[in-house]
Amino acid sequence: MRQDNRWPIGIAFCLPLIVGLASLTIYPIIASLYYSLTDYPIFGRPVWLGLANYRELVTDPRVWLSLWNTAYFAIFAVPLGMFCGLMLALLLNLKVKGLAFYRTMFFLPSIVPLIAACALWGQILSPQRGLLNEFLRFMGLPEAWVPGWLAHELWAKPALVVMSLWGCGGGMVLYLAALQDVPQELYESASLDGATAWHRLWHITLPMISPVLLFTLVMGLIGTMQYFAQAYVLTSGTGDPNDATLFYALNLFNTAFAEYRLGYASAMAWLMFVVIFVATLGVMKLSNRYVYYHS
Amino acid sequence: MNLRTWQVWLATAALLALSILFAIPFMWMLGTSLKVPDKIQTASLDLIPRASFIQRDGQWLRVRPLGAKAGKIEAQLYRDGQAAETIRVDPAELKDRFHLYGANYTDALSPHRFPFPTYLLNTLAICLISVTGTILSCSLVAYGLSCVEWRGRDVLFWVMLSTMMLPGQVTMIPLFMTFRKIGWTNSILPLVVPTFLGNAFFVFLLRQFYRSIPKDLIEAARIDGCSELGIWARIMLPLSRPALAVVALFTFIGAWNDFLGPLIYLMDEKKYTLSIGLAMFQGQYGGEWGQLMAMSLLMTVPIILLFFFTQKTFIQGVKLSGIKG
Repeated sequence: MRQDNRWPIGIAFCLPLIVGLASLTIYPIIASLYYSLTDYPIFGRPVWLGLANYRELVTDPRVWLSLWNTAYFAIFAVPLGMFCGLMLALLLNLKVKGLAFYRTMFFLPSIVPLIAACALWGQILSPQRGLLNEFLRFMGLPEAWVPGWLAHELWAKPALVVMSLWGCGGGMVLYLAALQDVPQELYESASLDGATAWHRLWHITLPMISPVLLFTLVMGLIGTMQYFAQAYVLTSGTGDPNDATLFYALNLFNTAFAEYRLGYASAMAWLMFVVIFVATLGVMKLSNRYVYYHS
Repeated sequence: MNLRTWQVWLATAALLALSILFAIPFMWMLGTSLKVPDKIQTASLDLIPRASFIQRDGQWLRVRPLGAKAGKIEAQLYRDGQAAETIRVDPAELKDRFHLYGANYTDALSPHRFPFPTYLLNTLAICLISVTGTILSCSLVAYGLSCVEWRGRDVLFWVMLSTMMLPGQVTMIPLFMTFRKIGWTNSILPLVVPTFLGNAFFVFLLRQFYRSIPKDLIEAARIDGCSELGIWARIMLPLSRPALAVVALFTFIGAWNDFLGPLIYLMDEKKYTLSIGLAMFQGQYGGEWGQLMAMSLLMTVPIILLFFFTQKTFIQGVKLSGIKG
């Protein structure tokens, strides 16, 4: 091919990307690495500290607390969201009449703008007069057992999990698409061999859609690590009650833009990158054994 | 998998019940936004907006209970929507009747509380510029990465892909400092200018699409003397309309919902977007449930309409990207 004399054209077309990568990604990466090694108050100049920020990270109880809060949320919200999405998709895949209607009903909550969803759930979960607690009282739950949700240290994270489950229809759409791609012959021959519905689910359906399950798991974990807006809006940025909703990304944001410690916040950002990288790698490694790629 | 009749009924019942469960928050949002203030917190379980009424001279008049005294209820009477005299009535006289209370919308929309038109225009400006920038830059770059053969192309592609792993929090702080230095903070520039510089994910998506278009088509155009820019504009853009629709839709929704960007860069209230405006409204008037739900609804409805008008593209986009709106 006339490959060598065409690079000016190629570069010209890719110029936006080249400028973008250089100015919006590569320069900020280098700058962030440098900031993370300095003390950098927002209205001053960076002062070299060496690894002191990273040493502080390891012993900072608030960093550990926010990591724990994030892990707690990930452990519940991600698998539960996947489970609910998968259940809905399996139900829809039974091909009863009105599939398009049900699919829309389950999917719509996942496209409600985040801040509007926060305003809504802030009220539904309100301890005194919220819809959920009024319903629990209506059902006869003793007042002592009615959860305080976002106002209570123990219930704040479960409250956010409940809110996130309302949006499980996003994953459902992916699972449903994958379910519809499973070859019907597999089910037919399995049925002939006397496989029960449970066997078909466990040995055909789940392995066949496992790549999509893995994809949503990884995206869910990455998304949780960056979970921010909900916690920020519902607690006015404080991470209340008693830091129960101080998630890692919220802690990072406050360190940078409320405490103006840009150097330390940059170090926190790099720790976030490492955690995401290790978690993704770990899940991928583990998944080698369970995920089935048919191509 | 042929289901027996009872299994079909069971599945249908489950689907219906779940549909109602998923719809309840929506109904509650709508109901609360149309409820009179005195019913919002006292009748939380009631999804239908109702108000207290009494019968006077054969007419039902709305009242707002103020308090109880010696077995009687003191209440504010309304005639033609205007507050009239306060009266004392027997509790048995009060009846809850269906009543749509539009004042939640008009009260919240007062300019000092929630200048919806301003926020809407600001948001739309960011959305439309972002869509233009993303479509333009990503399709040009995707063309350069798939239809032009040149040395270094694959290196650039892999550099681009590897940056997708990087969380935005890493670049957030240096970018903020850069934009501050060049005086772009408190403007929409930091939110829209980057969209003209490509987006790794959308470039990837479009590149995949361009590679599926037959090479012969491009070669033929070249032989006919068509310029590369001409091929991009007259062949690739029209052919990639379905993919561009996905990119445009998700860029629009992303910009409509974006919270972190406007939160960092916009300080002046007049420049707020709907997201930021709604969050601030919640901070200041969080107790005004009806008004808050009215504003949330106004922010949600356009996205839901967009979904209904672009359903196929929308679902296609979710499948391609795993992005949930």
